Amino acid sequence: MPSLATRSLPLLAVEAVGLYTLLRLQADGGEVGEPGQFFMLQADPEPASAYLPRALSACWADSGEIAFLLDVRGEGTRALAHARRVRLTGPLGRGFAIAPGPALLVGGGIGAAVLPWLRRALGGADAGTLLGFRTPAHAVCAALVDVEATIVLEPTLVTEPLARLMPFAGTVYACGPDPMLQAVAALCAEHAVDCQLAMEAPMACGFGACYGCAVRLDGSWKRLCVEGPVVEASRVLG
Amino acid sequence: MFLGDQRVATSLCGIDLETPIVNGSGTLDALVAGTLGVAAFVTKTVTLNPRDGNPPQRIAETPSGMVNSIGLANPGLDVFCERDLPRLGELGVPLIVSVGGWSPAEYAAAVRRISADPRVAALELNISCPNVDSGCISIGTDAGETRRLVELCRGLTDLPLLVKLSPSVADVAAIAVAAEAGGADGLVLINTVRGMAIDRHTLRPLLGGGGGGLSGPAVKPVGLHAVFHCRRATGLPIVGMGGVSCVDDVLQYLAAGSTVVGVGTAIFRDPGLPARLARELADEITARGLTSASEVVGTAHGTTAKALPKL
Repeated sequence: MPSLATRSLPLLAVEAVGLYTLLRLQADGGEVGEPGQFFMLQADPEPASAYLPRALSACWADSGEIAFLLDVRGEGTRALAHARRVRLTGPLGRGFAIAPGPALLVGGGIGAAVLPWLRRALGGADAGTLLGFRTPAHAVCAALVDVEATIVLEPTLVTEPLARLMPFAGTVYACGPDPMLQAVAALCAEHAVDCQLAMEAPMACGFGACYGCAVRLDGSWKRLCVEGPVVEASRVLG
Repeated sequence: MFLGDQRVATSLCGIDLETPIVNGSGTLDALVAGTLGVAAFVTKTVTLNPRDGNPPQRIAETPSGMVNSIGLANPGLDVFCERDLPRLGELGVPLIVSVGGWSPAEYAAAVRRISADPRVAALELNISCPNVDSGCISIGTDAGETRRLVELCRGLTDLPLLVKLSPSVADVAAIAVAAEAGGADGLVLINTVRGMAIDRHTLRPLLGGGGGGLSGPAVKPVGLHAVFHCRRATGLPIVGMGGVSCVDDVLQYLAAGSTVVGVGTAIFRDPGLPARLARELADEITARGLTSASEVVGTAHGTTAKALPKL
């Protein structure tokens, strides 16, 4: 069972990274989990304007800090970006299962947020990065993942450079909007390439209670917080 | 943790509870997260056949709460009884199984089968789901239908029979009276309030099911009102819920006439809440110079001998 202990961590810094916002929380020595797992975050004290916490995967986490990259879109993320402390539950869910051999990191938009920690965790492994963004201002965060990342901007899709690398002799790790993940999964399946997807769904709880985060896996609606958020790509094609 | 603490110990339809704090149906999966300190575990509603649930988006945040349209996703009666019940029986707290159906026969099948399992302490008849269009699961809007269904189920089980009611009716007390006449042992109220959220960009319904059920602090006054009036209209014990987020809410639900108080949506944002509410309730009872939370039950009706000391 996941640890559902909730802790309140002070903010070390809030930094603009292009159009996104990097939230750096001071670590407390508690469990931080592994790349691809997620936390439920809420500004502390809780804002009147946002009742539910927000589910976010860490951008990175170590003994000093836990960092999250936010796309400030509404009341909840705005409150987080202006908080002094953040209440945190987690780590929750299943993260990436790092496989031996070469790695290809594929991100779309704010989906890049989950990749810096994965890139660190891969260490000296042979790894490349493909990232797609709407605008150059969104793409600034690419440097957090990999300064040598291949970047494409709309209308080019990240699946275009990905297709040129197929069949990739290693594992593809992808995070981004659902249509992108579906396309990445289909491309990898076509070339029999191992692929893991970090998926996203609106969550109220993050620990299997609310059944809100339904995603189509193995042909039926499943709770992403229990099954994922990282899943084998073949499961979305069933 | 609270074993033997008489300040908070209570009972519901003959079931001893260490505290008056339980979860609302569908707001906790104890097999994933544990019991989180609830005194009895209420399952998500089980139906005869498995249900995949409604298409996403299933939840949306709203002012002081959320709307949901989950659509009674559940593994169905067979899988629930064979796979889940044995594990739920090991949680160490009384088990209240919530059942639903699309016809009286479906309720009957579920009530009969689940009653046969010695691990089950009580049944909750869900006749008030806002997220399915038809069938018995929404008959909590009709007093006659409610009475007939409760009568049918009453004849099939010796377990305590709780009936979960919707506040989205003209007169919830009339439905409560019908449930009592049908042989119910207790009431659970309120289910979520029918509601909707519309996307501010697309100006279309946010939820895949169109409408949904509103929960969270936004519905607390609705819940208190329903509990108050059902307490007045019937002699049944009440599991009161709707927007409970803090110990003051627990006291207010007790005062309105609940014997037991349910926590739901607030668990989503704070999984430590049920255990904390039980501790804080015990402290509050002491601080008010009382000996038991049961002394608070119904005080809003002015029926207790002494006025409660103000804090």
